Amino acid sequence: MLFWQILVDGFAISSLYALGAMGFALIFGVSGVLNLSHGALMVAAVVAAWAAGNDLHAGPYSGAAIGVAVGFAATLLTYFVVVRPLQQTRKIREEEKEIFILTATLLWGIMIQELIAYLYTNNAKTVAPIVNGVISIAGVRTPQNEIFTAVVCWLAIGVLWLLVNRTRAGKAVLAASMNPRGVTLLGIELSQVYIVVWAIYGVLVGIAGVLLGMFLGVSSYSVGPLTASAFSIVVLGGLGSVSGALIAAYIVGYLETITAYLISPAYRTIPALLLLVVVMYVSPRGLLGRR
Amino acid sequence: MGTLSTTRILLIALGAVILLSFLPLGVSGYVLGLLTIAYYFGVFAMAWDLLFGFAGEVNFGPTFLIGTGAYTAGILDNLYQPPIFVCVAAGALAAVLGGVVLALPALRVRGPYFGLTTLVAVLMLQNFIVVDASLTGGEIGLTVPDVITISDATNYWIALWFMAISGAILFALSRSPVGLILQASGQDAVQAGALGFNVTKHKLAAFIISAFFSGLAGAMLVFYLGSASVGTLVDITVGVQIIIAAVLGGRRTILGAVLGAIFLIAMSEALRPLGDLSNFVVFAMALVVVLLFPSGFFGLLTRSKEPS
Amino acid sequence: MNTHVSTAESAAASANLEVKGLTKRFGGLIAVKDMALNVHAGQILGLIGPNGSGKSTVMKLIMGIERPNAGSVRINGIEVAGWPSHKIARMGAGIVFQHSRPLHRQTVLENIKLALLPDKLTRLFADPHIDDHARAIAARVGLTQVLDRRPATLPFADLRKIEIAKAIARDPKVLLIDEPFAGLTATETEAFSDLICELRDDGRAILLVDHNVKSVARLVDRVLAMYVGERIAEGSAEEVMRDETVRRVYLGGSIETAARPETSFADRTTPFLEVDNVSVFYGKAQALEKVSIHVHAGEFVSVVGLNGAGKTTLFNAISGLLPYTGDIRRQGASLRGQTAATIARNGIVQCPEGRELFTDMTVRENLDLGGQHLPPDESAAQIAGLFELFPILNERQKQAAGTLSGGEQQMLTIARALMMKPKLLILDEPTLGLAPVVLEQISKALEKLRQTTDITVLLGEQNVTFALPHADRVYVLEHARIVWEGEPAKFAAGGGAAYL
Repeated sequence: MLFWQILVDGFAISSLYALGAMGFALIFGVSGVLNLSHGALMVAAVVAAWAAGNDLHAGPYSGAAIGVAVGFAATLLTYFVVVRPLQQTRKIREEEKEIFILTATLLWGIMIQELIAYLYTNNAKTVAPIVNGVISIAGVRTPQNEIFTAVVCWLAIGVLWLLVNRTRAGKAVLAASMNPRGVTLLGIELSQVYIVVWAIYGVLVGIAGVLLGMFLGVSSYSVGPLTASAFSIVVLGGLGSVSGALIAAYIVGYLETITAYLISPAYRTIPALLLLVVVMYVSPRGLLGRR
Repeated sequence: MGTLSTTRILLIALGAVILLSFLPLGVSGYVLGLLTIAYYFGVFAMAWDLLFGFAGEVNFGPTFLIGTGAYTAGILDNLYQPPIFVCVAAGALAAVLGGVVLALPALRVRGPYFGLTTLVAVLMLQNFIVVDASLTGGEIGLTVPDVITISDATNYWIALWFMAISGAILFALSRSPVGLILQASGQDAVQAGALGFNVTKHKLAAFIISAFFSGLAGAMLVFYLGSASVGTLVDITVGVQIIIAAVLGGRRTILGAVLGAIFLIAMSEALRPLGDLSNFVVFAMALVVVLLFPSGFFGLLTRSKEPS
Repeated sequence: MNTHVSTAESAAASANLEVKGLTKRFGGLIAVKDMALNVHAGQILGLIGPNGSGKSTVMKLIMGIERPNAGSVRINGIEVAGWPSHKIARMGAGIVFQHSRPLHRQTVLENIKLALLPDKLTRLFADPHIDDHARAIAARVGLTQVLDRRPATLPFADLRKIEIAKAIARDPKVLLIDEPFAGLTATETEAFSDLICELRDDGRAILLVDHNVKSVARLVDRVLAMYVGERIAEGSAEEVMRDETVRRVYLGGSIETAARPETSFADRTTPFLEVDNVSVFYGKAQALEKVSIHVHAGEFVSVVGLNGAGKTTLFNAISGLLPYTGDIRRQGASLRGQTAATIARNGIVQCPEGRELFTDMTVRENLDLGGQHLPPDESAAQIAGLFELFPILNERQKQAAGTLSGGEQQMLTIARALMMKPKLLILDEPTLGLAPVVLEQISKALEKLRQTTDITVLLGEQNVTFALPHADRVYVLEHARIVWEGEPAKFAAGGGAAYL
């Protein structure tokens, strides 16, 4: 009984983590940016969906769509307003740009967090789930929403995989993550590749955010932990490796779920953190890292 | 760092400190309280700048060191009530030990991994504090039975002169031969090694010094506030504010970090009428400075001619 | 400090620097194999070799910046192999790196004082006589005028002087100098040579690393030539320049040429590619100095030069990857302002020295990416044609590019570039590190291309055996300048002298 519960719950939460973390890994792998406003963008998507339901009385579908759209827009804004100007400026030495981009995305994330707290208070918000009701799997009463979450996540992951491996634009993105100079030499404008990648990231963030809102709910306080969790998963899986992030997300998701059920919900984040510490000591490149 | 010599800068700073010492004569207790916190904050930022300027890496978890120092002092006081200076000393020592433990994995890795190690340290400390609530007060926080004094003016002077002395030491260090070696170690470790300097030894030293001042200031802050909590001393947002203060003030200037700290606290106050929006505005302003004036206040003031 | 050590004395005394059996592997690659050399006090040994020969690695191994896998390094009789660099430095060794690396926020004086500081954590105040000592060193290398200035404001030669000052600060008995004259003008080179001779006359053992025998010939007492990690010749400068193996490896043997006269190309007045008075600076160092070349449509032009001469810089400027002064024109229209990707899409395609393959993708995927501007059926046809040209790629279609051998990777690089149907194909050092058998295959493929298509090729090479047979015209690029232009048949007589 408990086993199935852990299996199902863990699967759902891991899928959710995976979606967000894969986007984070993609951005780092291609664009070289550790986007510390990741959590803020997800929360922005959730709050938009919630506000759509609350203020505009939108139905669950349109609310979700609005949430994803806002997440997408916020992500692109992050790229054009914060990341790209810093990447292109001449006022900062090349070696220091990484640090400035880290600090700036961190600031940007906190700005979004504060804005949300101001406009909508920092109370927890949930988004009306698209799928309601409960079904029984192997004797376990599972909210259909959880299954919906897992299904949508995997659909998105599937589409991402198809995009990257089967379309020309996607292959260009994959190539850029391996060798940006090579991509330029083949006549592909890197600046366009970056926009495509950030756009993909924006969609992933929007979907992950809205699903999170339906599943667990968020508040403006969730921003930090969400970013930290994505960061940890991506490092565990190996910075820059999208497939590594997927695997690591499941490891972390299940570690958390098992801990929450078998020991106590209060301790849920600790085993994953310990694992991260061990991995960093033993193999700082993570499980599948390239950079 | 501009065209001002070390002695001149120290003299100007000393003059400023002496002027600031007269503030309690005409200013309300509320403002004094704000400045007191700003001065401790300034020490946090200076300690961060020392590490950043020399290890050359961004430490995302200055609050790991601060929190370790603060909570050790607070818990000690709660359990055994020794004299305050013993608690404070213990806090500083604990922070140094924490710094050494953090330095060992952190110094072996570079780039984003260093930042992550420091981030993980903060998360672990936060978790430990929250989980071990009986000892640490958990999420609500810790209260200590003793405070240094109730007088606003005295607290203010203690904070001001503590900051001044810490600043003088850190600044002198940054300008000393040791500081030069540390800068070389951070900027070009291979060259520093080829010139005969044990880079690891020096970076470890920078960690320890940074940890000492962070822990010391954190411990003293606990006995000013009479309490410690995750939200005020450990949370990542607090760490971010420290980094922003140092970056705003001007990286690698040490003294600029104080300007940045005072600016941030003053701004937060000035924008208080905006309510919750005040934080947003402060951070937005910080972002603008980062994007447009990377060399910070100190850079603007001294109009240094080199690229930042 | 001016004791001149006579040759008899130095022969009798044990060498200041003794290296035996030094070996270094990076993964599967053997960078240095069984290296042995001796440098006595008051001697300068020149370590010569082309790119990839391992000479810089030897220097790093001696200085402790890299750890050797095997072998012994003795400085003043003490075994230091495997020590960290700071201990070796304190033992009496100094290194002048190829690229200047001063502390940018400190003055020249402070940079030199740094080199004089002891490795202690407790010094808060500098020893007063360090200041005098630093000034004396500065006077020795000629930096007295600029002591209070910051590196960013100084000319290139002064930055190099700072590097020398730092290296000699603690009076090392062994001095390692990496490519001392790169980026210097003729007058500056003379001044530096004199300085190095003085340092030698102080009784130091100096190891000089360079890729060009000629530029160090007047300075060195002996020369040791390296190739692919091993020593291939040792002796006086003249002896090494005459050595059979050295000449074969650096210059190639006798060569057949198949040049077409320049007048036979249609675009006589406006060549397809014109590089007009182009100069490129990397920071302060001049990488290209007023270089002008031209290539006619359908022509095969080789630019010959040892590494460091500027070939890659030239090609990167043409491809739009670098800022430059001067003009580069394609069919009369300037390329300035176009992005690198645009230039590539419009038909000027480069196969860079580093190949820049997508190592985790299959051979097929790499080729597909090359053809992604073409409609799918054209792309497939193009790939079929390339598989005929390079059959081994057909065999290895589904293999990851990173797992191919060096030669196969080079073929893939060329094939991928050809997928873009280039009007001008730029090849940068395609033969680097490849075995002669593989060179043959690539050579044949180039020959076939030249005969069956009207492709224009610009080839940059230090391997003359490869560069000359296909070429219609040859340029020689040396130290950022074009020093010779002419027919390949005349190269050995005219250009070859400039080359070795």
